[in-house]
Amino acid sequence: MTQLDVLSPVPGRVIELAEVPDPVFAQALVGPGLAVDPDRTGAVTAVAPVPGRLVKLHPHAFVVQTEDGAGVLTHLGIDTVQLEGAGFELHVAEGDTVAAGAAVVTWHPAAVESGGRSPVAPVIALEATAGQLTSLHAGGAVAAGEVLFVWNR
Amino acid sequence: MDKAEQILKALGGAENIVEIEPCATRLRTEVHDSSKVDEKALKAAGAFGVISAGQVVQVVVGPEADTIATDIEDLM
Repeated sequence: MTQLDVLSPVPGRVIELAEVPDPVFAQALVGPGLAVDPDRTGAVTAVAPVPGRLVKLHPHAFVVQTEDGAGVLTHLGIDTVQLEGAGFELHVAEGDTVAAGAAVVTWHPAAVESGGRSPVAPVIALEATAGQLTSLHAGGAVAAGEVLFVWNR
Repeated sequence: MDKAEQILKALGGAENIVEIEPCATRLRTEVHDSSKVDEKALKAAGAFGVISAGQVVQVVVGPEADTIATDIEDLM
């Protein structure tokens, strides 16, 4: 079994997925994980939660897949697909290989919020089972690049 | 039948689709008649879940949503 450290992509306060204002994430339909309610401190650069290849890259969401096939989805805000990339600056391209903690996209959680959307960022272990995740620390503060949870696989 | 074909059929076919739009995790679909949507068949096609509200049906398919949406548009 391998232990994969999943890092927080953004600084903020860690919350349970059940608190995310979106049924798909709140019901963990695409996988278990946690979410980060990001600090509203102007521009925030979201980093890769795990090392691997950016198999999907949208302005507001990305999936990094490790060499052995673990996919982690980071979704920056809720319903942010509607922003069509406005306010999101990408630092990498789809297909790039990134280190854990590498800069992926800079965005503005406070601007997302003032636009009437939740800036909460779910971090999802795709197709994992809830029992595979340990060291989940909901309720506390987290820095970008700090371990959010561990995926045992 | 591939996944896109199965999903399209379960949504009531091309004639039932007003709009289909991919998000990072789901297909946001607007349909003419939500009674023609077969949730069981959507799940059999590989959807992790289906969230319906009126004529808007969200088919949760995971990060392949953009690829599947393109395949469905090709079929329509």
